[in-house]
This record gives sequence, structure tokens and C-alpha cells, in this order.
Amino acid sequence: MDNPLTKESFKNGFENSEELLELRSLLLDIEPSKVNKLYESLDNLEVKAEDISKILPEAVILSSQKEEYLSSAMVSTVEKAIHESVSNDLNILTKAIFPIIGPAIRKAVATAFDDMLQSMNQALEHSLSLKSFQWRLEAQRTGKSFAEIVLLRTLIYRVEQVFLIHQNNGLLLNHIVAPQVSTQDPELVSGMLSAIQDFVHDSFQTNKQDILQSMDFGDLSIWIETGPSAILAAIIRGNAPQDLRLVLQNSIEKIHLKFDRELHNFDGDTESFEDTKPYLEDCLQSKYKPRGKKNYTFAWFFLSGIAIAIAILSFFAIRERLRWEKFVHKLDSQPGIRVVNYGRRANKYYVLGMRDPLAIHPQRLIEQNNLKPEQVNFEWESYTSHESEFLLKRTIEILQPPKTVSIDVDKSGSVVVSGSAPRKWILSARNSWRFIPGIINFRENNLVEIEISKLDNYKQQVEKTVLFFIEKTTNLSPKQDKKLENLAINVQKLIDTSRLINREIFIEVIGHSNKLGTAKVNKIISQKRGEKILNYLKSRDINPRNMAAVGVGYQQPLKIGSKRNNQNKLGVVETRVTFKVFLDRE
Amino acid sequence: MLQKKVCMIGEFATGKTSLVSQFVHSIFSEKYQTTVGVKIDKKEIEINNKKVNLILWDLHGEDEFQKLRLSYLRGSSGFLLVADGTRSHTLRKAVDLKERVEKEVGKIPFILMLNKWDLQEEWEIEESEVNKLLANAWTVIKSSAKSGLGVEEAFQTLTLKILEE
Repeated sequence: MDNPLTKESFKNGFENSEELLELRSLLLDIEPSKVNKLYESLDNLEVKAEDISKILPEAVILSSQKEEYLSSAMVSTVEKAIHESVSNDLNILTKAIFPIIGPAIRKAVATAFDDMLQSMNQALEHSLSLKSFQWRLEAQRTGKSFAEIVLLRTLIYRVEQVFLIHQNNGLLLNHIVAPQVSTQDPELVSGMLSAIQDFVHDSFQTNKQDILQSMDFGDLSIWIETGPSAILAAIIRGNAPQDLRLVLQNSIEKIHLKFDRELHNFDGDTESFEDTKPYLEDCLQSKYKPRGKKNYTFAWFFLSGIAIAIAILSFFAIRERLRWEKFVHKLDSQPGIRVVNYGRRANKYYVLGMRDPLAIHPQRLIEQNNLKPEQVNFEWESYTSHESEFLLKRTIEILQPPKTVSIDVDKSGSVVVSGSAPRKWILSARNSWRFIPGIINFRENNLVEIEISKLDNYKQQVEKTVLFFIEKTTNLSPKQDKKLENLAINVQKLIDTSRLINREIFIEVIGHSNKLGTAKVNKIISQKRGEKILNYLKSRDINPRNMAAVGVGYQQPLKIGSKRNNQNKLGVVETRVTFKVFLDRE
Repeated sequence: MLQKKVCMIGEFATGKTSLVSQFVHSIFSEKYQTTVGVKIDKKEIEINNKKVNLILWDLHGEDEFQKLRLSYLRGSSGFLLVADGTRSHTLRKAVDLKERVEKEVGKIPFILMLNKWDLQEEWEIEESEVNKLLANAWTVIKSSAKSGLGVEEAFQTLTLKILEE
């Protein structure tokens, strides 16, 4: 058309023409106001945010329903948005995802446990079957582990390796391997796979767009999916379903979408392709022979056995631990024992501490607490306990008191000694207490020397003795022999004891008469009676140095009311010899 | 890790494979060359504390029965051109191959290796021929598969040239 009808010419030529407007309205069947709006939008070609906001949600929904490109394209933006949000305020996202973290972790743990249980059950179950013997032989023959053979023989298919290879030069961009799969150098394998592609192209003159899609070798297949710049090669053992190819296609598409620039500019540096790992991992799929019903009998049996064994071992371990703790506590509470450190090393218990030699021997406590003595090593530092129990024990051990002595140690550290003891011990004790650790004083409470006590006893025995004489004579009355004999013994003991404790004694042998004669005669006869006894004592080899006989006649008559006084009525008992013992003062 | 594809080309029996066999990591046997026409090895080089993995495509030597598969050259960062010093025509063949390679993949770094230097008494290549090449900015290294002479130097020099590109 030479003169095309433009909007401007149209407007300029007929702008003021009412007819034209009417004609236009009639021809187009559009209201003039709408036409004007159309013109306005054509004049203003800039896209209005308001307009996009109206259609964007609908566009996103439509795109999500048709393709996955939109979600892949948005990954980077969403990742950045999350990163920005975390950088700005960590709490917002934390609060948002908090409710799902717990269930997600529980689900992940449950799934991992389920997988482990299934794998263990499979290995256990097959390890007891007839087939297992064949597989064991196969494992030995091929040098693989038994578990690996079990997995291989029970699987339907498994993607063992995935290679991401640059289309142009055959260099390996990334590579992942399934667990328990042995591999060759992936960089060389990648190159060779690429070479084989070229080899097939060259050898059979195929179209450049055609690719070698798969290679089969026994139960091993190589599936290849090609993108414009990269190849994805999956090494598969077993018979994989065709659905897997969709997974491979999806992965290579996503990789191209996200790493398009890196693939295009690839100069040999593979670092930027580390992030392709998740897409490659999507391809690491596997499927094992279905089981009618999940039967974890073997696994549960095995786990139950382990649990019971652990429970039994734990019980014994805890019981021994409690016994040990109780023993240490008891040991530490013993007087004279202080536990400083304790524990277990090299399968033996040990106790480090301080021990008073007088304290209880720890071995006795070990047996009381049902522990074995050979299980425990002790390392004691010797120390002196000042506990009253130990002060007493130590005091007794050092002073060695006779049985007649009672010893006590009070809280202030004073030794209180009572009872009777040989003079020699008492003198020794008065000096020795100073050498007892922890004792600060020595106190005697009615402590009597045994010798003095004996001396008093002998004195009383002698003074109690009364020898009767026949009236008017110096002859002893009948039946006095026994008394005479005892007298001699007691006098001798009295003298010996006094010498032992260096006490001077003097024995007065007192002769008495009755009142019948004259005083003079009575005096003489009483004197003679005393002398007779004195001589008797001399005849018994008793030294007379400290003895003397005196005659008191009737000067010391028997007291009225006494038994002897009754006899006095008969006029017999007054004729006697009595004894008075004098002791010097200490 | 930086990887570079490097091809080894030359006429049949110039000693390409023997030249590098003791210097590279290999998992494939020589039979690949006669079947697929290429054997791939790996050589790790360290230059300026930077490790570079050279993926060596050892191409089957060209003879009257088998042509060089030029498609294998695609994506190469450089190549080693190998001639047998005891057979002068292999040098002319090398020059021809170099032109074909450049026609296929464009100008990329390369090294000419005059191999079998241990057999100097049988040496056929004239110095004048070598000088002509040197004058054309070729890098020429005399090598011996027997003694290992020049092999490491060739790898180092080629890698350096590739990295300078």
C-alpha cells in the first residue's frame, strides 16, 4: 500500500469529524472510549507493574501445571531471597520452619532406621539360606564382599554411577557413585565413553543429532542422555524401567538450565560443577525384589538379642558400679581413712587416700561389699588421725595399761586414767603420755598404786590378828597355830611390800593382860606375851628391825559390846597379843 | 581441579604409546587403539603450584589401513605431534597431520617430539629440516621412550603453553 492508513493520519484527518467517529463506532462496534484506551496503551509501551501484578499469579499457576522450567528458573531467586532473609533476621525463618523441623527429623530418622533394618534383615536372612552358600562362593570368587553379592542378587536394578561429561571435549565435569561400588578412574572412563560416541558416529555415519543412547553388557547397561553441552551417562546394573530415562532427562535439563553459562564457558576447571551433585544424586536410583510383606523377623531377633545382651551387661555393670560407689563411700566414712581420689583404669579400680595405721583394713570392707579384692588397687599415704577413737587406741597401744586400769580420752585430748596399777607403770605413764600424738594432758582419777593398796591390806590383816593366851601364863591358847602361821605370812608380805615402794613400817606387838593381877605383874606378863610372839616371828626369819614388843597390861581393855567383850566376862579373852602397824608418810 | 584434553598424534609406529607409557596413569590396554582407535590416559602436571590433569587421547597412528579419526580431536586444548627420528618421512607426515588438525580444531598449542633419540646412529632427520620448523615458531623436543628423555619436558612445556592461551 502506497499510503498506508496509520493511526496518526487516521486521527489527523478525521479528528474533528463527528461523522467519522460515528462511522468508526458503527464499523467496529466498539465504544469510542474503549478505542481511546486502546490508543493510550499503544502510545505507552512500557509495561506497567500494576498490569503484571494482575496476571502474574495466574501465569505462575499455568506454568507450574505445564512445565517444570518455571520452578527451576526460580530456584536461584528463591535461594537468594532465603539467604537475604536469614542475613536480615534469622528469627523469621526459624519461626516459620520450626513446626516442621521436629516431624522432618523424626521422619528422616525413621526412614534411615527402616532402611538399615531392611538391609540388615536381608543380609541376615540370606546369610542363613541355601542360596547364601552359592553367594558366598561367588563372593570369594569375585573378591567382592558377601553383603555386596546379596545386594546384587536381590536387586532389580541399581544405578551404580553417574557421569556428567562435557559434550565438546569428553572431560568429566562431575561423577557420583552408589555405596559399595568399586570404580575405575572416572576421568579416563568419561573420556573413553565420549570416544565411543565419536567412534559410533564416525563408523556408521549417523546424523550428528543422533546419539548412542544405551549400551548393554551382560547385566550392566549404560544409559546416555545428551544435552546441548553435556552428556549424562548412568551405569546401571539390572533391568531399569523406562521411567528412569525420564529422570535422567529431567536431570540433564535442569543442569543445562542452571549451569548453561558454565557449560558454555568451560575451560577445564570443574570446580563450578560441584553443585550439580544433587541433580546427579536424583539419578542414583535402585529397586530390590519386592517382598510379600515386610518381615523383619531376623532383624528383630538379632536386634533383640543384642538388646538383651546389652541389658544384661548393663545390669551387671551398673550393679558393680553401685557396689563400688557404696564401698568408696563406706571406706571414706571409716575413722582414720580419707579417700582423696578414686576411679577405674586398666580394668581395675583404684583408691588414693590417707590412712591411719590403726584404721580398719580396707580389704575387709571389699569383701563385705561383694567386690573382688584383686579388682582394687590401694595407694595409701600414712597419717595420724586425731579422732577420739584413734587417740584412745593409740594411747592404749603406747601406755600398755594393766587390766586394772581404765583409760579414757576426752574431747579436749586429755587422757583420764583410773583404777589401780603398779607403781612402776604409773610412773612410766606419767612421762610417756607426752609422746602420744594428739594427747595434750594426763589426768589421774583415783588412780591407786597396787602396792599401797596391798600394803594397806596386809596392814589390816596383821592388825586384825588377835592371839589369845592362857590366863596367867605366856602360853598361847589352843587352836592359835593357824592364826600364828597367817600372821607370819602377812607380816613378811607387809615388810616386802613396804620395801618395794620404799615405805618405812613399824610393827608394834602389843601384849595384854586381864585385870585380875596387879598392874606391875600384868605389865610384865603382857610384855612377855608380846616378846614371845616377836620371837616367834624372828624364828620365821622375819627381820625384827622394824618390830618391837610392848606390854600394856590391862590398859587397853576390849571395848564393851564386842564379841571379845562377851568372852571377857569369862575372864579369858583379855589375855592376848594384838598388833599395831605404823606406816611412814609418803 | 583443572582438566585439559591433549591428543597425541603421529604416524604409525613412531613410538607415541611407548613414549608416555611409564609416565602416565592408565587403565586401558593398547588394544583399544586398534579397535576404537584411541586409548585414553591421564597425566598429572603441577605448574606454579597448580595441578592440571592432562587427559591424554593417544590416537592410533595413521597408516594405509587406518585413517586418523579427526572427531577425536574435538575439544582438545593442545596436542603432541610425534615423529620417528629414524624415519624422515614421519616428520613430513607430522607436518601434514598438524595442518589437518588445525583445519579441524583451529590453532591450538602443540609440541613436536622427535622420538627415538637413543638411536642416533640411525637418525635420518636433517637438522636443516628441524631448523625450518623452529623458524616457524614450532617447539621441537628430542625424546626417547627408552631413556625417558624429553618426555616430562614436553608435558610441562605443552601445559604451560595451554595455560598461557
